[in-house]
Amino acid sequence: MLEGCLGIISFEDIGNEFGALCKNKPVYMLPFAGRYRLVDFTISNMINHGLCTIAVYTGRKVRSILNHLGDGKPWDLNRKTSGLSIFPPLFDEEKRRSSDIYQYHTTEEFFTDSKAEYILIANPNIISKVNLTKVFEHFLDTGADITVVYKKQRNGDSGYINADSLIIGNDGRFINIGVNLCSKSEFNLFMNMAFIKKGVFLDIVRMVMETGEDIYFKQAIVNYKDMYKINSYEFEGHIEYIRGIKSYYDANMNLLDKKIYKELFLEGGTILTRSRDEPSTFYVTNSKVRNSLVANGCIIEGEVEDSILFRGVKVERNAVVKNSILMRGAVVKENSVLINTILDKHVIVKKGVNIVGIKSNPYTIEEDMVV
Amino acid sequence: MIKSNNVVAMLLAGGQGSRLKLLTQELAKPAVCFGGKYRIIDFTLSNATNSGIDNIGILTQYKPFELNAHIGIGECWDFDRITGGLRILPPFMREAKGDWYTGTANAIYQNIEYIDNLDAKYVLVLSADHIYKMDYRKLLKYHIEMDADVTIATIEVPWREAHKFGILNVDSNNRIVEFDEKPKNPKNNMASMGIYMFNWEILKYYLKKDSKIRKSEHDFGKNVLPLMLNEGNRMYAWAFKGYWKDVGTIRSYWEANMDLLDKNSSLNLYDKDWRIYTRTKHFPPQYIGRNGIINNSLISEGCIIEGEVNNSVVFSGATVEEGAVINASIIFSNAVIKKGTEIDRAIVLENTVVQSNKNINREYEDGICLIEQDSVDMEQGEALYA
Repeated sequence: MLEGCLGIISFEDIGNEFGALCKNKPVYMLPFAGRYRLVDFTISNMINHGLCTIAVYTGRKVRSILNHLGDGKPWDLNRKTSGLSIFPPLFDEEKRRSSDIYQYHTTEEFFTDSKAEYILIANPNIISKVNLTKVFEHFLDTGADITVVYKKQRNGDSGYINADSLIIGNDGRFINIGVNLCSKSEFNLFMNMAFIKKGVFLDIVRMVMETGEDIYFKQAIVNYKDMYKINSYEFEGHIEYIRGIKSYYDANMNLLDKKIYKELFLEGGTILTRSRDEPSTFYVTNSKVRNSLVANGCIIEGEVEDSILFRGVKVERNAVVKNSILMRGAVVKENSVLINTILDKHVIVKKGVNIVGIKSNPYTIEEDMVV
Repeated sequence: MIKSNNVVAMLLAGGQGSRLKLLTQELAKPAVCFGGKYRIIDFTLSNATNSGIDNIGILTQYKPFELNAHIGIGECWDFDRITGGLRILPPFMREAKGDWYTGTANAIYQNIEYIDNLDAKYVLVLSADHIYKMDYRKLLKYHIEMDADVTIATIEVPWREAHKFGILNVDSNNRIVEFDEKPKNPKNNMASMGIYMFNWEILKYYLKKDSKIRKSEHDFGKNVLPLMLNEGNRMYAWAFKGYWKDVGTIRSYWEANMDLLDKNSSLNLYDKDWRIYTRTKHFPPQYIGRNGIINNSLISEGCIIEGEVNNSVVFSGATVEEGAVINASIIFSNAVIKKGTEIDRAIVLENTVVQSNKNINREYEDGICLIEQDSVDMEQGEALYA
């Protein structure tokens, strides 16, 4: 259990690699796995390991997250003391900076007011079930100022090019953060997750503000690494790093692997999200559903294979859905065919329409469209 | 607005429901699971929410733990309010002594102060063991239009079943002239639904009067309503149209679940304008395996279906392994149906693991089999036939 620790969920400015899917929302608000948002995994993992003070730095596209988190009730974060704090950015034109450090600086009071002595920073675009309690113990036992978390990741055909590569010494000592150029078969993916002593965190934020640099916290760690004891922790479980449409699509499809489904959903605590009070899903006679993940509230009359269906999706008679992701409330009318397609919220596919994408580049349709 | 009319709903949820046998062994009937993710009481609570009722008292008595945990402060039904909202009302001690709720009317009688404190004008008495969707505003509107002292919601039942119900005989204006409790030769088929809208002052008067009648059972249907009729109060019947089912027995419980699979059933769970709310259990989405077959069934979150499910209702988190076949059954939360098992017309209780290669209920034509929690198979487990 993470006693005396508070959590920061911080945005990552990775630009828009998601086209229409992220027109109005940040990456961490992408719907995931039939009924969640990416950010649910990070928040749930934090509370499952006993964190009860969590700050969410929203980035600029703030509406969807405010709507989703509300007062934090679904995660038990609606508390009188501690609980959830949501920090939208300040649009202060004179001092405007894009980095996370400026946001931390403007909310310094939140940290100084808190009795917590330690801080956990996590990136909600990375889905994992890191055993935070274990990492925290490692951090405390080694007496580190900062412990960063990484995962040994195969390069293969994975889309990890340009990801943060953690350079460490044999003893796990932090050396640098580089860029993965896929030249090696394996690299240490920096998960953008770290435990930090609160004092160290605040010192770094102040130093960066004083020098006037507009850098992200992870860059600041590199800049000031010689002043602190920084070590690392290797996470060995499954991760999904959502960096673009392809990795988003693959991460969803990976859940059809029983082992990954079990690790992400059934082991190490429940993932919590906002309930939509949907009834069970109804399968009519002669519907065909194979190897798919289906949320509640769907009505399935047609054929669904190797797909992810979010809450309240309708697949009508003789419609075929394969290798596709259908978000909340999407409707596929009679005799339509969808292959390798992502339908955003409330898309309606009219009768007899065929939409076929490529697996390596699934076709996406923007929310509320009627096609 | 119902708000300005000050309706206080009183929901009778203390019943044991002994005819549901194993289903109510550990919990009160209103807390019995229903329809894939609900409990029976959710329907009435959601009706109250959707009808804009602000004050609801829940009268509990029999094994209330699960029910209390389920209801909590009522936030799932939007009843966590600054003023009013939901109150759980168990029997309590007084200066002299305390009493159990000895009848439906007695339960309300013992809570007269609660209702008085809310400045109620109308009291809506509900029971928590029916499956239906009703807009109580319509009942209230009719009650006010008729200038009634009591209005009773009625439903048309099949003539052959009318003898099982409390039948209301009315005049041409729908004014009640006679109560016929479970009549051998019913004069009509308008049955009382156990849903009453009272003018509070009048109800209070009769509750007090009834409480002094020694041989009274303090029951609305048997005592209080007939007493009111005898004394010439304005009592009206309001005809409800729609799905309604009393799930009092294993068979009617099973049938009500099966009704959800009927396309033509008038109980539409998918109606966004009349949601049925419940406490969320936070299961991941359901996974349907490569060889899974599902026909005409309701499957809920967290289920893993790799076998065959036909005409059944499967609750959250249940597992049906490859090669298992489920027909016309109800599988409760977290039950596991192992490989090669065939189950017909059964209700498998929570957390039950049905071992491989068992045939359950294949040999019985018409029975419904209840499979007990933790029973490993039919021989060792306690299976009841209803």
